[in-house]
Amino acid sequence: MARWAMVIDLDRCTACQACVVACQVENNVPPTGVGEAEKGRAISWLRVVPFVDEEAHGTRPPLRLTPLPCQHCDNPPCTKVCPVQATSIDDEGLVAQIYPRCIGCRYCTTACPYTVREFNWKRPEWPEPMEQGLSPDVSIRPKGVVEKCTFCHHRLQRARDRARAENRELQEGEYMPACVETCPSGAMAFGDWDDPRSEVSRLSQSPRAFHLMEELGTEPKVIYLSKGEWGGEV
Amino acid sequence: MKLNRRRFLGFTVGATAGTALGVPVSQTLSDLVASMDPPVYPPRGPEDSVLSVCRLCPGGCGVRARRVGGRIVKLEGNPLHPVNGGRLCPKGQAALQSLYHPDRVPGPLRRTGPRGLLESFEPSSWEQALNEIGERLKLLREQERPESLIMMRGDARGTSSRLAERFMKAFGSPNDVLLHRGDEAASQALYLGQGVRTMPAYDLQSAEYVLCLGGALLEAWSSPVHTMRAYGEFRQGRPGRRGKLVHVEPRLSITAAAADEWIAVRPGTEGILGLGVAGVLIAENLYDREFGGQRTLGLDDFRDREGNFREGLRTVLARDYSLEGVSAETGVPINTILRIAREFAASRSPLAVGPRKGPLVSGSLFDHLVVQWLNALVGNIDRPGGVLVAEDVPLPPWPELPSDPVADAGRMRSRFDGVNGEEPPHHSYPERLADVLLAEYPYPVEVLMVLESDPAFLCATPERFARALENIPLVVSFASLPDDTALLADWILPEAHFLEAWELDTTPPGVPFPLASLATPAVETPLHDVRPVAQVFLDLAQRIGGTVASSFPWPDLQTLIRSDVEGLYRARRGALMGTAFDEAWVQMMERAGWWAPGYRSVDELWRGMEETGGWWDPFYDHENWRRVIQTPSARHEFRTDILQALTAETVARPMNTEDNENTEGPVDHSLALVLFEPLPIAGGRGAELPFLQGILDPGHEEGWETWAEIHPETARILGLSDRDFVRVESADGSIVARARVTSRVVPDVVAVPMGLGRRGGGRWARGTGANPLRLLSPARDPLGGPPVTGATRVRLTLVAGAEARPLPEGRV
Amino acid sequence: MEKSEASMQQDAVLLRPIEQTSWKFWVFIGILLAIWLWGMFAWLTQLRHGLEVTGLNVPVYWGLYITNFVFFIGISHAGTLISAILRLSHAEWRRPITRAAEVITVLVLFFGVGCVLLDLGRPDRALNVLKHPNFMSPLLWDVTSISIYLTASTVYLYLPLIPDIAILRDHMPKRRWFYRILSLGWTGSERQHRILEIAIATMAVLVIPIAVSVHTVVSWVFAMTVQPMWHSTIFGPYFVVGAIFSGIAAIIIAMAAIRKVYHLESYLKPIHFNNLGLLLLVMSLLWFYFTFAEFLTTYYGSEPSHMVVFLSKTEGEFAPYFWTMVVACVVIPLALLGNGRTRGTVWGTVVASVSVEIGMWLERFLIVIPSLSRPRLPFAAAHYSPSWVEWSLLASFVAMFIFLYAVFTKLFPIISIWEIREGRERSVLEVSRRVQSYLDSAVPPALDQKSS
Repeated sequence: MARWAMVIDLDRCTACQACVVACQVENNVPPTGVGEAEKGRAISWLRVVPFVDEEAHGTRPPLRLTPLPCQHCDNPPCTKVCPVQATSIDDEGLVAQIYPRCIGCRYCTTACPYTVREFNWKRPEWPEPMEQGLSPDVSIRPKGVVEKCTFCHHRLQRARDRARAENRELQEGEYMPACVETCPSGAMAFGDWDDPRSEVSRLSQSPRAFHLMEELGTEPKVIYLSKGEWGGEV
Repeated sequence: MKLNRRRFLGFTVGATAGTALGVPVSQTLSDLVASMDPPVYPPRGPEDSVLSVCRLCPGGCGVRARRVGGRIVKLEGNPLHPVNGGRLCPKGQAALQSLYHPDRVPGPLRRTGPRGLLESFEPSSWEQALNEIGERLKLLREQERPESLIMMRGDARGTSSRLAERFMKAFGSPNDVLLHRGDEAASQALYLGQGVRTMPAYDLQSAEYVLCLGGALLEAWSSPVHTMRAYGEFRQGRPGRRGKLVHVEPRLSITAAAADEWIAVRPGTEGILGLGVAGVLIAENLYDREFGGQRTLGLDDFRDREGNFREGLRTVLARDYSLEGVSAETGVPINTILRIAREFAASRSPLAVGPRKGPLVSGSLFDHLVVQWLNALVGNIDRPGGVLVAEDVPLPPWPELPSDPVADAGRMRSRFDGVNGEEPPHHSYPERLADVLLAEYPYPVEVLMVLESDPAFLCATPERFARALENIPLVVSFASLPDDTALLADWILPEAHFLEAWELDTTPPGVPFPLASLATPAVETPLHDVRPVAQVFLDLAQRIGGTVASSFPWPDLQTLIRSDVEGLYRARRGALMGTAFDEAWVQMMERAGWWAPGYRSVDELWRGMEETGGWWDPFYDHENWRRVIQTPSARHEFRTDILQALTAETVARPMNTEDNENTEGPVDHSLALVLFEPLPIAGGRGAELPFLQGILDPGHEEGWETWAEIHPETARILGLSDRDFVRVESADGSIVARARVTSRVVPDVVAVPMGLGRRGGGRWARGTGANPLRLLSPARDPLGGPPVTGATRVRLTLVAGAEARPLPEGRV
Repeated sequence: MEKSEASMQQDAVLLRPIEQTSWKFWVFIGILLAIWLWGMFAWLTQLRHGLEVTGLNVPVYWGLYITNFVFFIGISHAGTLISAILRLSHAEWRRPITRAAEVITVLVLFFGVGCVLLDLGRPDRALNVLKHPNFMSPLLWDVTSISIYLTASTVYLYLPLIPDIAILRDHMPKRRWFYRILSLGWTGSERQHRILEIAIATMAVLVIPIAVSVHTVVSWVFAMTVQPMWHSTIFGPYFVVGAIFSGIAAIIIAMAAIRKVYHLESYLKPIHFNNLGLLLLVMSLLWFYFTFAEFLTTYYGSEPSHMVVFLSKTEGEFAPYFWTMVVACVVIPLALLGNGRTRGTVWGTVVASVSVEIGMWLERFLIVIPSLSRPRLPFAAAHYSPSWVEWSLLASFVAMFIFLYAVFTKLFPIISIWEIREGRERSVLEVSRRVQSYLDSAVPPALDQKSS
């Protein structure tokens, strides 16, 4: 079984937020209204967030902009606390969400230390004819239910189906989330961490590799490569 | 005891019954709640993909639209397209929302009420529109006043635009106004240096040290995705080599945050810092002496053709831009300037870029000249990693216009705005146009057509522009969303969305190789009663008849594009778009002088273009000096005379010198205004899409509003807190914005984003934010350049009744 | 019979609320129902539009509803725990208090659970916790332990109620059928008394660990996450202490209310308020100890993400609430209850109790919201401002609680009649025997004669 992980190279990232919009379009996230954004209710599965680098001095820019998706932790603090098992980690390491089961208690959202989970505060609405652009692969979440980044699991299913129909194995690069596919500077990579030949595996060995809030023991599967020197072949 | 047991049994039975009843009841409730959600039907049907070209910015990215059952459900980049290689920027991803936007104009609208209101429009038909407008134009021709038709267009590249240009020529009007698109100063700088009229293309991915003088390199740069791809390679794409980026700007922009070094200079002094660096390069003999000696003119003093003595760059820099002077003006320590200059020169492949922030904040000619000169000093012209010039796309010339005395006479007349059509810049600005229209000189304007632009919004004096339009009897807008200009029109003829029309797009600015992208309609029948603008012009031409009609021998847009493709075929170069392997193959062949195209007929080319996205020629012939340097001297010229003419106008003086003169009464705490363009709303387009409104500033997605960034010191002096509403006031106008106290700007500066503040544009754009263009003085580069944004000073005052609730501690 | 007639006369005042209802009661009920109706309207608004009608946002996903949940569950420790402890320790002054306290517990538990249901995004799917339980989830521990507690408290309320229901059955003209069913054929025989006493004693012992577990698992909803200033080992005991603290205050307020309204001055005497006041004082000091320990540890450790939350409470956005809480929970109670003169008055303890309730509500608020509004990743920090829906629902819950409590007093005696009588008749002797057993064998003969 694969173990899906993502690599985000902060040295390539330009913080253009194409990944943010691609995710919203791909996953049928409803568009926010003006009032809602102000109240902090905009739904965005992936955000580019600012970190102030307090140690920066001289001419080093003190601001780091970092894409922050669900980290799909191997030891997720969120799945432990869901009272109805509406979120759980599957065999391939994806932390999944079962929308019809979720009761909207939002315990998982408060337990997540990365603040990457979202909630449907109201019924999602698409002013006509925007609903025509909805993707058929991703279910629409009703109000009162938690949602979050799924590493575009529906794309995995499609890629698997295609591979199965063609009677072959799934190949590297066939399954990648929408954000990875669209990143203009190629800052994102995705693949099977357990496959030693995959790009993700190779990049994870880079001396620039780190995880966010590693010390919490969540074992996130998003590997960041810090800005700085060239990564080096391993 | 018995009763206790009975009681216990009764309790158990009751509880079981309750639960047994409760489960189906709760299920019913769930169904009831779910039924309150509106049914949303996913698309059904066969799935395929169609290739098109994104038109939300001039970047020209190839798009692959995923289509299910006739509906477009996602846009991705076309992996074979050389501009974007399968990637899309946030605008491209959000473009799907613009196709299905709820406020798209559903069909031709005719104004029946007062100008400026959406309610004044009534639906009409294309027949009626073409009849009425056709009649009007025909009348103009009969009265031999074709010059009374003016066209304002914001694009020069697309088929619609080229057709519009031809229409004007055939009609006989010289008033084909190309509105300022943000490329002019860069092109002008390239022209002054190399004598070629085009946008410079920077080979970022082969560079190793990039000095960016204030440019938004990683934001709304000329072709954003192309540049970002190159940036990715620049950083981590070449084994063992990592490019270094040094960014010079008074604001910690997104580009600055990605850079290795952020040199915070005083506003408007980026070019001066560049000259300081140039001075060091020359003084310490670090410049490329071979290139400097053999291929430049004006480095040292010289005598021109008439025998006049002309100062060289060396002299001017040594005298006017000493290190001490530059350091004092910019606020950058001398050691830093020295270090950067030396690093720049020592790098294997240095590159200077800047100062363009976006289509609306395009940078002064002064700064662009400095950038061009820095590149020339290190010999970086037409080399890998340097300044490249794309070849033209070998499209066939369209048939000669039939001779027509009315048209000839009309074209000879001077342009209504007094701009000489031949000498660049032959583009103009909405403020200036408003002035001229109000003056009604030298002749009144009868018909105005506006396409691919929103001049009423992109104007520093929008009220004047609106008034100016009132004098024009017939105003036609081709907007697809009712934007600010469309609201002032008499007719709105909605253009088709780029996914609904054929298009042949040519090389985007900043891309160094010629290409022609073919866009196939992804939505076969447009969602609304819309037509491509090109089609409208073809139809109008037929209505007008005569020589105008015969100037357009194509029945429809697809036929026209097809004939262009025939010309591509006959050019006998280039290849279909393909993979990296294909690219390498073609380059190798062409370098050896061969042409191995992969298609053997026009049909094959056409089909190939439909399947791959288009045609291109990846071979770049470096150091072909005769092509890239076409100055009279056949050398790269350092035009120090131009520099000196520009100096006085464009630099924002530091606060001390001016303000000490008016120290009667309260001290005038005026700040320098710095404008920038977030990529999602660059060019004034994007605010209509809610997904783009949400990403204007990372970390501040709550604010669908215009904000004003000020340094904490400045805020303290002015008594302002974070999140206060402030009035930003200049000598020419004022806006209200939300203050953001942040160390992302230097003191004594207020930074305001451009792109919000529209009156039209649909429900999400309307009334959101404010337009800081109002604050600009109409001053321009003396050579007719863009409105100078660096020289405006503003005052900030707290707006009474502001909700002052700072964001929690820890928010950036 | 004569004895019982005489005793009926003596305790007539205890039965009067059940026999008579003044117009003032109906007005009072009417106001409460009006508030409740307003709350229903607020709830329907929330059902229709979703939780966007609240002030909740990203990242403050929990707000007033969860605060109220913890608060109400906390108050539930009042009755059962206090009544059980006092029973087990043979504190004779408990007699007029136990029932009033037990009713608080049973009723308020419903509202505690109600607050969680209000908070759910999909309350229609609440039964999913039974269909797909995840026993690793502290919320499910809550569901389990609160259910058990509710059952146990109901039984524990009902058992001592049986003899009183029998009295009502025998002496009340109306609703006889109701009392007959509920009295389970109580005759007052020796055997029945013995069984009842064993049952009550068993429940008293069982209920204590259950009650402790309830608020411990409520605290673990927070403590089992890794969020700053939530992930603390002290939460379990801290919440239990806080619960008992607010519970006792609730009893005092309830007692003062029924004393005033039903003229029970001869039963609920200053000494009762004094003793409860002493307990309240002890809990206040204990609460202060835990709070101080928690905050000192956090401050000393200086971990950045914890300090952001800490400072927001002590000197930042939440400082006014924090210091109000300290004053309300410690300063005012200490002043009023540390001083024997004020502690011995009804008004003294009531003022202290009201102050404690306000302070403890603020404490719940300050536990839930600051850690959420200042998450580990600073970009997400936000403000929270409860909306009218949340306040209305809080008001309606309080109104409903008072309403149900008042209805209970109209159906059943709020002071346990048979236990008062038991105290009158037997306790004096029992207590003197007990004291005798503590001392050496030389006992003044005068006392000894009373035993005959």
